[in-house]
Amino acid sequence: MYSTEYLFQQLFNGIVFGSMYALLALGMTVIYGILRLIHFAHGALITIGGFIFYIFFTIFGLPFIAVIGIVIALGGLLGVVLDVIAYRKVVGGPEVSMLITSLGFYIFIENLMKLIATPQPYPFRPPVFLDRVHSDWFITFRTVDLFIIVTSVAIMLLFNLFVKRTKIGMAMIATAESGETARMVGININRIINLAFIIASAIAAITGFMWGAKYGQISYDMGFMAGVKAFVAIVIGGVGSIPGAMLGGMILGMLEMFSVAFLPPGYAGYRDGIVFFVLILILIIRPSGILGEKEVK
Amino acid sequence: MESSCYATEREYQLLRVEGIDVYYGIIPAVRELSLRVERGQIVTLVGANGAGKTTTLKAIMGVLFPRQGTIIHNDDDITRLSANRRVRRGIVLIPEGRHVFSKLSVRDNLTLGAYHRTDREGIRRDKEWIYSLFPVLKERESQMAGTLSGGEQQMLALGRGLMGHPDLLLLDEPSLGLAPIILGEIYEVIREINKSGITILLVEQNISMAMKISEYAYIMETGKVRTEGKSEDVMRRENIMKAYLGD
Repeated sequence: MYSTEYLFQQLFNGIVFGSMYALLALGMTVIYGILRLIHFAHGALITIGGFIFYIFFTIFGLPFIAVIGIVIALGGLLGVVLDVIAYRKVVGGPEVSMLITSLGFYIFIENLMKLIATPQPYPFRPPVFLDRVHSDWFITFRTVDLFIIVTSVAIMLLFNLFVKRTKIGMAMIATAESGETARMVGININRIINLAFIIASAIAAITGFMWGAKYGQISYDMGFMAGVKAFVAIVIGGVGSIPGAMLGGMILGMLEMFSVAFLPPGYAGYRDGIVFFVLILILIIRPSGILGEKEVK
Repeated sequence: MESSCYATEREYQLLRVEGIDVYYGIIPAVRELSLRVERGQIVTLVGANGAGKTTTLKAIMGVLFPRQGTIIHNDDDITRLSANRRVRRGIVLIPEGRHVFSKLSVRDNLTLGAYHRTDREGIRRDKEWIYSLFPVLKERESQMAGTLSGGEQQMLALGRGLMGHPDLLLLDEPSLGLAPIILGEIYEVIREINKSGITILLVEQNISMAMKISEYAYIMETGKVRTEGKSEDVMRRENIMKAYLGD
């Protein structure tokens, strides 16, 4: 009843969306690991990344590579600002204070963007060479889909190398395990926190570009769903686990695409509903997620 | 206090803690505590659970900060210095309960011990030294630290601390939860570390072990120093107390 092409097409779409969720979940997990903070404001970086690209590419007409560089740089910079002005004072306090701070920061950014950019969505086009449609192969896709997959895999591999091979990457893992012990070996934790925000935010900002390119538009509130879905991906994969975050992102992407594919037409609008239904199921059946460690009481 | 000979002793003193009060929130854990550690010594801090020993070590390390009092290391006031600056100065704490980085390999744990150092040659030499102290760590170099046995983790924690090239090693209950054979081995190494020129401040609940190895001892009780003196004298006094008063 479903052709092989159709299934492969959905699989491919699932990987594309899964890659984006995985990138976001990766950043959120890095921050969670170190601060024990569910960083809801992460979604704001996606919105901002999308708009930065729009401003420098569509309006100013700078070359693509340069604009990607700007998106990464400004995203990272905003991460540091966020860390220093919003979180520095509440770190070490109750987790609830940090959670409220992150929600507050998200709401602030969303409303600021609404003021500046107006509630109207903007049409978002990637550069021409990424916008080409390939339909003469087995499945139909745009070059930007490949860009999303390749970039995501590259970022994840690089991050893995960074954590395994560099001293500062190891220090990040060590800080995530125990901040106090990390300080005892002479690690400057504040610098590690800074770095975590830079990495996570830069990745989120570039995901903002992918998100815009995939949906064909950007708007002041695009980061909300993205942030929430990244959180769902983390819960699926296991909170705190980096491989879990990537796996959770992929599973979420597949889940979404296949639920749309197999539901009768007209039910596609329930896509997000299905995602949250699965979240609830996982919270009931396996609260620690697929790769998460069991809570030690 | 024997303040008469204070000035002449001063240059031998590596660490001087003067009248510190340390609180957890509003609860005092250490009150008006003073102690001195002379260069090259092993000094021990003993006392019952909750006497404030660990708190004292954490304050010296800079993980906790005292409300009052000063901490002097090598004649500099370090009371307000952050922990990572103190590591740079040569103060290293090996925490109780081992606390190795369980998701990193043995090798990477040692690498992180030398986090602040840039002298490649020195780091390599220290690593070799640690492998000679604990050959089992060399065997398990690529293994995740979390998969080591308790004794091996204690060795790794010691090794990681030594990688920081300390002049003052703060040791928190290295005997905790270890089998007697391994305990002897660890204490043998502690002695060897001390012979190599590293001053040691040792916290222990295992009084007899600690007294045997140390030259000077402080006995803590409910956040204060109850008595101090040369380890053998303190030990004798304590035994007499026990004999007359019970535990």
